[in-house]
Amino acid sequence: MIERIAWLWPEIILFLATCVVMVLGVSPRLALRRQCAFVSGLALFLAAMVAIATGPMATSPWPQMVPFMKGTAGFVGLLTLLVLAGTVDREVDRDQELGRGFAALRANRAEFYAFFLFSMTGLMLCASADDLIWLFLALELTSLPTYVMVTISTRRSRSQEAGVKYFFLGALGAAIFLYGFSLLYMGTGSTDLGAISTQILAQAEGGAINDIAMAGLVLSLIGVSFKIAAVPMHFYTADVYQGAAASVSAMLAFVPKAAGFIAILLLVSTVGWQWGVADTAGVSLGAGHSLPEPVRLLLWVMAVFTMTVGNVLALLQRSIKRILAYSSIAHSGYMLVGVIAGPQGARFIDNGVAATLFYLLSYGLMNVGAFAVVASMEHKGEEADDLDALRGLCRTRPWLGWTMVICALSLLGFPFTLGFFAKVPLFTSGIAAGEYALVVILGINSAIAAFYYLRLAALPMLEEPVGEAPALTRVPARIVAGVLSAGAALGMVLVAGFFMERAARAAVPGLFDGTHASQSATDQIARSGERRADE
Amino acid sequence: MTGVIDQIGGMLAQAGYPAPMSVLTLSHYLFVSAAMFTLGMVGFLTRRNLIIMFLCTEMMFQAAGIALIAASRFWLNHTGQSFVIFVLTVAAAEAAMALALVVLLFRKRESLSAEEWAEMKG
Repeated sequence: MIERIAWLWPEIILFLATCVVMVLGVSPRLALRRQCAFVSGLALFLAAMVAIATGPMATSPWPQMVPFMKGTAGFVGLLTLLVLAGTVDREVDRDQELGRGFAALRANRAEFYAFFLFSMTGLMLCASADDLIWLFLALELTSLPTYVMVTISTRRSRSQEAGVKYFFLGALGAAIFLYGFSLLYMGTGSTDLGAISTQILAQAEGGAINDIAMAGLVLSLIGVSFKIAAVPMHFYTADVYQGAAASVSAMLAFVPKAAGFIAILLLVSTVGWQWGVADTAGVSLGAGHSLPEPVRLLLWVMAVFTMTVGNVLALLQRSIKRILAYSSIAHSGYMLVGVIAGPQGARFIDNGVAATLFYLLSYGLMNVGAFAVVASMEHKGEEADDLDALRGLCRTRPWLGWTMVICALSLLGFPFTLGFFAKVPLFTSGIAAGEYALVVILGINSAIAAFYYLRLAALPMLEEPVGEAPALTRVPARIVAGVLSAGAALGMVLVAGFFMERAARAAVPGLFDGTHASQSATDQIARSGERRADE
Repeated sequence: MTGVIDQIGGMLAQAGYPAPMSVLTLSHYLFVSAAMFTLGMVGFLTRRNLIIMFLCTEMMFQAAGIALIAASRFWLNHTGQSFVIFVLTVAAAEAAMALALVVLLFRKRESLSAEEWAEMKG
């Protein structure tokens, strides 16, 4: 148990930084209180670097995924922090200038950063989880602080409504996956993911997977779908993203989603992609390359409905934040395609899990920009959230306008943007896994998505500005974050190969490598890794 | 009724020494916890009072707790019991947040109904 500490230094750094931020926040000197954001950023950067330097975690079901996801979390977290910084501070400062009285709920600038760091700690802990108890605590640590952040993000009652909705549905989701975990334990007698995997394989070889364990796995996946905003638990998304400040929505679109996908990959790795279509005896182990039928069917239905519902509802919205919220639902559906396809081969374009991981990284980078544009604009003291605010933005506010154009095109998957290179592997891995129907539905959905993304791109670029330019908020870091995000959406293309290779290596399972289908892939990548080490 | 319970009980073999659960079997506990979980779920979906909705999620948490302890006894290891300690801790943290949110809501709207909170639609 104690040897795991060696892999947990990123989380320890983040936790210590959280404590420092909390203490700084109650300092009597304003100059010190203002350092919270810098300390948080420094800690995130350090944690990401330490995670990458530490290397694969031997006890995890996905040993190589641990540094990859922690690094992704750290760097996308830094970008998110640029947008988040000042969400609460500026309002506190403005209150003091206007001579408004002390409001306990509002005077919490340090807590805001501390909760953000707690949430990032939870995300990194998710990545290093190898036990159901650990996974449960990590998922809760990711979510609980976000409920508070949503509620305190703005002064309006909308944020409080969003917080209430988010919290109650989050508690429901947590209860469902907790019950799933308990059934999984009841069916296998262990909470260690490796031991569960061994037990499930033993059961399958002796006849069939225990019904209780299978029910537990299905319930866990349904519960975790709350975190990724997939269909049975998606209905909170639009309201919460709209009610929270745009900066907090930018975080909600990445942090819980990444934690959810890590949890799904960990849970699914206990059964593995090594099952064929069940024959009459129900034994099909080692006969194929897909998930066991109940799990595959669940994820398949989830993916199809998530994509379609997200895209169709996004067409009907006028609020930019609601469009981005529904599109974030749709993106979860896309990524589920990669999970269903599974790690099929050594090549990146055949490997669905690698595609999902790379998409998660790309989505995190390009999505921040779109939210940063909304967070930067003000209209009569409120966020300029209506589509009209984008009209002619490229002329009035060129930095913001072009950021929106590039991020929207990249989210659409327009050729030669990052989004394109992220989406193509989802198609190819789906084809490699023989999921043709799913790939066709993915294609149709990408076409539907073009309607609203092209509108987001065309309004700033082609339309004439209406009235005067929208006012800017007093946080210039947000524009920087937006420009960085747009730069990543274009510039990452040049170095995409590097990250794709990392993702392909991250997607090598450590668990179900016995005599089964994935063995060749594992070997090939392990060999290529050794070659690289030799050089 | 006993027929159904025996069928569920037949799914899992009992581990060895010390003495097996005899009169009450794993399936009885599974039945109770499943009933609690379902009641909690139904309550959450049908009631509109925020405190009752929160208590329903608590009931679902405790249903998982019962399942964990029964399974822990069944498999004769302590993992499930230690899991329950963590579940209780998280449930307490959630309760603190739920009460804070409910107080906030009551100050704003003078009501505990979830339907008071429908500003955003579509």
